Parts: sequence; C-alpha cells; structure tokens
Amino acid sequence: MDGTVGAPDEQPLLRYVAAARPAQQLVGEALKQVAGFALLLMTSPGRASLAEGALTAAADAAARAAEDIRAIPVPGRAAHHHHHMRAAAEALRRACAAALGRRGGVNRDDLVHALRAASDHLRATERLLPGFELIDFGQACCAAHAPPRFVCEVA
Amino acid sequence: MADYSIWVLEYAAVEKFPFSVMMYGPQHQGTRKLPYAYVLLKGKGETILIDTGYDHVAFGKQLADAYGVSNYHGPREVLAECGVRPEDITRVFITHAHFDHMGAIHLFPNAKFYLQKSELDKWVWALALGPEYRFLTGGGDPADIVRAVEAAKEGRMVLIDGDQENVLPGIDVHLAADTHTYGSMYVTVRNDGTRNGEDKWVFAGDLIYTYDNLTGLDPDAPQIVPIGLAVGSQHNLIFSSAAMLKSVGGEVRRVIPVHEDRLRTTFPSRLTDKGLQVVEIALASGEKSRVG
Repeated sequence: MDGTVGAPDEQPLLRYVAAARPAQQLVGEALKQVAGFALLLMTSPGRASLAEGALTAAADAAARAAEDIRAIPVPGRAAHHHHHMRAAAEALRRACAAALGRRGGVNRDDLVHALRAASDHLRATERLLPGFELIDFGQACCAAHAPPRFVCEVA
Repeated sequence: MADYSIWVLEYAAVEKFPFSVMMYGPQHQGTRKLPYAYVLLKGKGETILIDTGYDHVAFGKQLADAYGVSNYHGPREVLAECGVRPEDITRVFITHAHFDHMGAIHLFPNAKFYLQKSELDKWVWALALGPEYRFLTGGGDPADIVRAVEAAKEGRMVLIDGDQENVLPGIDVHLAADTHTYGSMYVTVRNDGTRNGEDKWVFAGDLIYTYDNLTGLDPDAPQIVPIGLAVGSQHNLIFSSAAMLKSVGGEVRRVIPVHEDRLRTTFPSRLTDKGLQVVEIALASGEKSRVG
C-alpha cells in the first residue's frame, strides 16, 4: 500500500486488512501461550501444568482463527498474505495437537517444528502488509513516548 | 586485580527521548539521549552477555520509523569492538523478557541463557487472561518465546528461581519480583571474588533507566524515584533500587543502568566509527583496554 490508500480500488484490500488483523492477533496470542507452555515443559516439567488452562484456550483460539481466516474474502493483492495467515493458523493447530497429545505424551520434536513454522508464517504476515505488527511496543522503553495507535488507524 | 573485564556496548539509540518516561513523575522536562546497550563480561574462561538486544531484521524499520530508534548495529559488529564474535558468547543473563532484551537469542548459537522462573510463570498466566489485559504482556514477541523453546530443547535455557549466588564464579543474580516485569532480574559481579569487596558492580536491567532514579533530581534532598513503566508496583521498584544501592555501599556509579548516556563520562569510553559508545567498566588481568 502507498499514498493512494483509500482510493476505490484499494477498498477490498483495506477490508481484508480490517478482517484479517484480529485473526492474526488471535494466532499471535495463542502462539505465545503454546510457546509458553512448551518452555515450561522443557525447563521445569513439573510446572507445565500451570499453563494447561492457557493451552486449552490456545487450542480453541487456533481453531477459531483458522475458521475466521478461511472466511475472509481475499483480493488478489492479499493472496500471498492470506496464504501465510492460513499456514500460521494450521501450524498453530499442529502445535496445539502436539502439546495436547495425551496418550503418547507430548511429542517435543513435532511441537517445536510446528511452533517454528507458525512463528515464521506469522512473521511473514507482519512483513507483507502494514498494520500487522506483532509486538505491542507500548510497554517497551523505546516506544513509550510514541503516540498511541488505535485499531481504527490500522483499518 | 579484577576477575572480569566489563564493557557496556551501545548498539542503537533514541536521540531525543522524553525524560518523563525515564522517571516517574517529572513532566515537560525535555529530552535526553536513550542509548540501547548490553553488557559484555570476559573472564574465568567465560564470555558473558547481560541481555541480547534485539534483531533489527524482524522489526528494525518499524522501530526506526515509528519510534525514532536509530543507528542499530548487530552484535557481530558491536562485539567486534572488543574482539569478540557472537559465537564466542558462552552465557547470557536475560534481565527480563521484553523484545529489546531477549530478542536476539538466535544470534548466539553457543550460549546458555538464564531467565527468572517467575518471569515465565506469571507471563504465561497473564497471557491466559485475555486481550483486555494485554498491557501485562506487552513488549513480548512470540518469535522470542519460540526461540527460547528451541534453546530449551537443546538444553541451553536455564530458569532460575529467585536469588542465586555464584551462578558463575563471583556472579550472583537477584529477583526483583513484580517490578518492571513479573520476574525482572539484576546481576551482581563481585569482581574481586569476595563477598563484600569494593570492586562490586550491579547491572540493573530496566529496573532503573538513569542514575537519577537512584538520586532524584535535587542534590540537596536525594531520593529514589522509580521508572514509569511497570507491570508490578512503584513500591517494589523503589525497594529493589534501594537493595541494589545498598549492596554497593551506596556508591551510585556502581549500579549500572545501560540506558544511561552519562556512563560515557562516568567511565573511560570511546566513540566508534559507527557512532556507538564503548564504555569500559573494568579490566581483568592481561586484558587490553578497548577504549585507549
């Protein structure tokens, strides 16, 4: 997008950004939760149970995000972005499945590979279109001085 | 003679940073330069970092355009000023889990990382609260946590539970619970190896941004004034600052805030050809000065 944003032919893309942004945030938050569980599991297994509630919520969020992403109308210019959105959500679902693997226990290799894939696809969504930043810089010392950014500005 | 050589290495900066963010309270006090830096220690067979900085590839442009962070240089260039490569780093103490402190784990492939357990536990708990509570988990990058998982799988991530002496010889870590973050950590280097020796340094992470947090602005009436950014409390920030200061006998300059631009005038320093400061805190036996 450039200085012509808002022109009539940009409207489908803007509608895509507005619809896709919440789904991307959902995937990002769920990814943090599953990764947090994985980190507890691998550094202090006895404490991983602390994150089981978050893990269940993350699995629900991943399923919801995947459905939301599938339902978004995708203009041609957003096709590449949408591909990574779908791939991120799918990888996150695989990560949740690996983390929740009850009978055989957690498959750590599958879990780490799926987390890596979800993270990489999510990073691609941040890079391909504006308005998809993954970090809330407002709680970082470098950025506390910047004016607040509102959801309506992104859309 | 010192056991560890110690340098504070600037890797980026915000040239005009509002002072009101660095100290809780004073509004309309103009701006200061806010350097971004990490600490390098060499000695006892180890090459150690306190914090990793961030990776410009991921969101450097965003930080530059939106927030005025300038002159970023990666660890390969920055560490070279002291003759060190990222591959040489053996240990990293992560003071807290914000992107600008643990955002470059992947650039140190041979390092073992140390993080407070409560930083992770409470952060995971806060993530489950929902988006309306996102202030509590801001500053975290999902990619950083995934990289931490990868390091943990390789046995390179160690969670520390509270205060611990001699994590490495002469190096202690301390939990400052519920302050800037849930499990912020500061690092003490007893550089003569004794418990209460005079050559002791405290590396404060983001528990303080400037010496002024330890002294206040009125020299006739010193006071501890906390930073403005906390998920914990100002109360806890004040008492952790007091503890750091007490541990070095009240000598303010021995509590090192890496964001303090005046480090370059408090200690021997050099401006590199990239416009970055190298500040030399201590030199171990046999180590040559990097600022002379």
